[in-house]
Amino acid sequence: MKMNQLKSISISMIKIVLVILFFSIINTSGFSQQNLFPVTLTDDSGADVTLNEAPERIISAAPSNTEIIFALGLEDKLVGKSEFCNFPEETKNIESIGKMSPLNLEKIVSLDPDLILSYGGFQLKDIPRLRELGFKVLVVQSESLQEMIQGMQLIATACGVPQKGSDLISRLQERINHITSNIKKLSHEKQPNVFVGSNFDTIYSPGAGTLFHELITLAGGQNIVGHLQGWAKINPELVAQKEPDIIIIPSGIMNPEEISKIKQDIITHPGWSHVPAIKHNRIYAVNEDLFYRAGPRLVDGLELLYEIFTGKK
Amino acid sequence: MNIKEPIVSLNKVNFSYGQQSVLQDIDLSVFPGDFIGIIGPNGSGKTTLLKLISGILRPQSGNIQLFNQDISMISRKKLAKIISVVPQDSFVTYNYKVKEIVFMGRIPYINQWQGETISDYRISRNAMKKTDSFCHAEKGIHQISGGEMQRVYIARALAQSPKILMLDEFASHLDLNYKYEMIRILKDTLREEVNCIISVFHDLNLASFCANRLILLDKGKIEISGTPQQVINNENIKKVYRSKAHIIQHPELAIPQVIM
Amino acid sequence: MKYLPEKNNKNLYGYPNWRYKAFFVLIFGFLSILIVGFIGLNFGTISIQPEKILSIFWHHETDNSLGLIIWELRIPRLIMAMLTGMTLAGVGGAFQGILRNPLADPYILGVSAGAALGACTGIALQYTTGLYLMNFLPVFALVGSFVSILMVYLLSRKKSHLPMTDLLLAGVAVNFFFSALITLLLAVSNREIHSMIFWLMGDLSNANWQKISLVTLPVFMGSFLLIFSSLELNAMALGEEEALHLGIQTEKLRLKIFLIGSIMIAVVVSFTGLIGFVGLVIPHIARLLVGPDHRIMLPVSALIGAAFLIICDTIARTILAPTEIPIGAITAIIGAPLFIHLLKRRNDNNEY
Repeated sequence: MKMNQLKSISISMIKIVLVILFFSIINTSGFSQQNLFPVTLTDDSGADVTLNEAPERIISAAPSNTEIIFALGLEDKLVGKSEFCNFPEETKNIESIGKMSPLNLEKIVSLDPDLILSYGGFQLKDIPRLRELGFKVLVVQSESLQEMIQGMQLIATACGVPQKGSDLISRLQERINHITSNIKKLSHEKQPNVFVGSNFDTIYSPGAGTLFHELITLAGGQNIVGHLQGWAKINPELVAQKEPDIIIIPSGIMNPEEISKIKQDIITHPGWSHVPAIKHNRIYAVNEDLFYRAGPRLVDGLELLYEIFTGKK
Repeated sequence: MNIKEPIVSLNKVNFSYGQQSVLQDIDLSVFPGDFIGIIGPNGSGKTTLLKLISGILRPQSGNIQLFNQDISMISRKKLAKIISVVPQDSFVTYNYKVKEIVFMGRIPYINQWQGETISDYRISRNAMKKTDSFCHAEKGIHQISGGEMQRVYIARALAQSPKILMLDEFASHLDLNYKYEMIRILKDTLREEVNCIISVFHDLNLASFCANRLILLDKGKIEISGTPQQVINNENIKKVYRSKAHIIQHPELAIPQVIM
Repeated sequence: MKYLPEKNNKNLYGYPNWRYKAFFVLIFGFLSILIVGFIGLNFGTISIQPEKILSIFWHHETDNSLGLIIWELRIPRLIMAMLTGMTLAGVGGAFQGILRNPLADPYILGVSAGAALGACTGIALQYTTGLYLMNFLPVFALVGSFVSILMVYLLSRKKSHLPMTDLLLAGVAVNFFFSALITLLLAVSNREIHSMIFWLMGDLSNANWQKISLVTLPVFMGSFLLIFSSLELNAMALGEEEALHLGIQTEKLRLKIFLIGSIMIAVVVSFTGLIGFVGLVIPHIARLLVGPDHRIMLPVSALIGAAFLIICDTIARTILAPTEIPIGAITAIIGAPLFIHLLKRRNDNNEY
């Protein structure tokens, strides 16, 4: 009798444990989901955005956010992108919502999104209307590397993949730290003077507060327009005066001919012949998307600058 | 109304444009049945006098009375029912039809809310018939000749049902036959509809033909006023126009004519 | 359109038929607007079938995306286009009448330059102070336009008179001055230039029901007041003195038309930006169709303007979808050749 009682008790106990195990296995994904939603986030426009469940249909109205979406592996939830979103290749399969500003409200509405990612800026004036019509809009406006990382975490949380976000961020942070620790070893004098200029008829160069400036500084360079604020229109005399060691040309999808033409213009620019960058031919064209878009490729840009500055390119 | 009561009276009227004095010390009376002709060389103030009487300009001193009422007391709209003016030259901005132009003469009488009545149309039509412009009724004002246009303007002035009709050289573009026609129309109108006519004339002979009284202006002052016989003589013409002229008697009518 | 039979003497003025015919013309115009508007609802970034539109209409659906598009985006836009077109063409016609100038447009008396300066100032302020002012731009524009109206009035006044050449000159002067200030603002601006230029080119994409409720009353009231001045405007065409002789108080009339027209334009432009050519060209088309009598020409001009702008707006948001062409560009592309054609026709036939 005692043996049978023991047996039935242990069998019941095993059943109970199995049942508990069973339910906990089923609920693992749902369980962690339940913890994540609903979530209320404060976006960069100061608005509180509440999401009740993970968004299935996402529209990204800026290339920076599109790249973040792809980096987080959420691209199959992307139903719309701005026409400037061109990285990675797969973006061409996603429907375009037109220009970044003004936002085409009709197109956005017709795609019936659960979440719209905006970069702020000129899109701010259309966002109240979208929110009025009942759409969830998350503004991610990043103007520094740190803000970009925070923005990435924000998007990851909003889309229900905070862990992926953290993973991505720690990998990026590693790469950044690698560069900044190397730079610490460089002395101040070894830091090259860097000049960034695009169109050479009217020269605009990125000053303090821009992403480009931050990356130059982090990569160990001295931005010759660092004393100016934002994107500044500068007088060519400044270049002659500051004598940069490196000249960077941010270019879009220019072909090699165009780029060599610009290089020629720089080399033959009146009054610049004594500039070290020109004398030693340290003029580099870079993909501007790596420096203008507040997305994960900023770190690619940082690494590229580091290689240029340390003479590895 | 007492036949001796003047319809229009000007008393010691002075007018200047800024510092420039144009008319001085004008005394003038117009009686019922008068056809007044204002004559004088260029710059003597003829047109200014017309503008003062029609209420466009206000005199600096002196007073102007219409039917014993001070002209400054009469509202513009009421004035439009008393006086109508035929301009010498006028450019109409848009190509209204002749009948629309003539119909505009009825504007002072049209009530904004009730709109026009059939009598407004009848009056306009009659005015066109009288001036022989009815056949042009459907044509655009830019498409008719200068002479036809002048007849249209006279028709508009008549459609305005005025008591005083004023004209500024009404016959400059008209052919000889139309000149006669217009004189006849004006005299008929004087007899049947209006109380008096005041017209500026450059053509002394026409003035002599039409008017029963002439006012000769010289440098802003009235040189002389009276019948054509009194006014148009060698002495006056020589003095005011400073040129030679031969005055002769018209072969059929007792009026002076000037020949060069 | 000859609304009067020629041969019959008795009916020379077509009395009282012309009133009924005028009424018919207006009803026809109104129906055309409805039809054009309905067709416009079909087009955009996506095409919506007429049957679907009717059902959305009937059931006032706003819960699905198509319903939202129709009720919250397209219909407000069309109504705003209609109101704007009405105002621009109507006021353009009235200004052409009061200034006796066929080249006048509603912007000639300076209102638009003031509105533009106001809006651009608001945009510039937003970037320098960091305050979010986009929703207040119409207020800035309205204030700017009232400043320019006041300036034109004060400049052209001469001891309680309002002589015409002075009004025109004052308007042109204020236009020049404010345009210079706008150019200066553009020159010192950087990122804001984009927003400023977009505002200047005209933009109906922000239309919503609230804005429509603000614009409707001034536009309709003003239009009625202008149309009631039709007889006086007709008289003005004869000349300043001739109009005076007809009993018209020309200076009061000028002031009245200037103020009513300018306020209407100010209200509309504050929300939609500067849309050109409509106020200049449409009145000429109206004159070509029904003659220069303002009593029929002004309403017809307003109706054609409304329909024209609805069509232009539909083109602007459909042809390169999802990119939207600024509506000012469409009205210019259609309006300029049209105007040249009208000029040629005027010279050849000496019409209207």
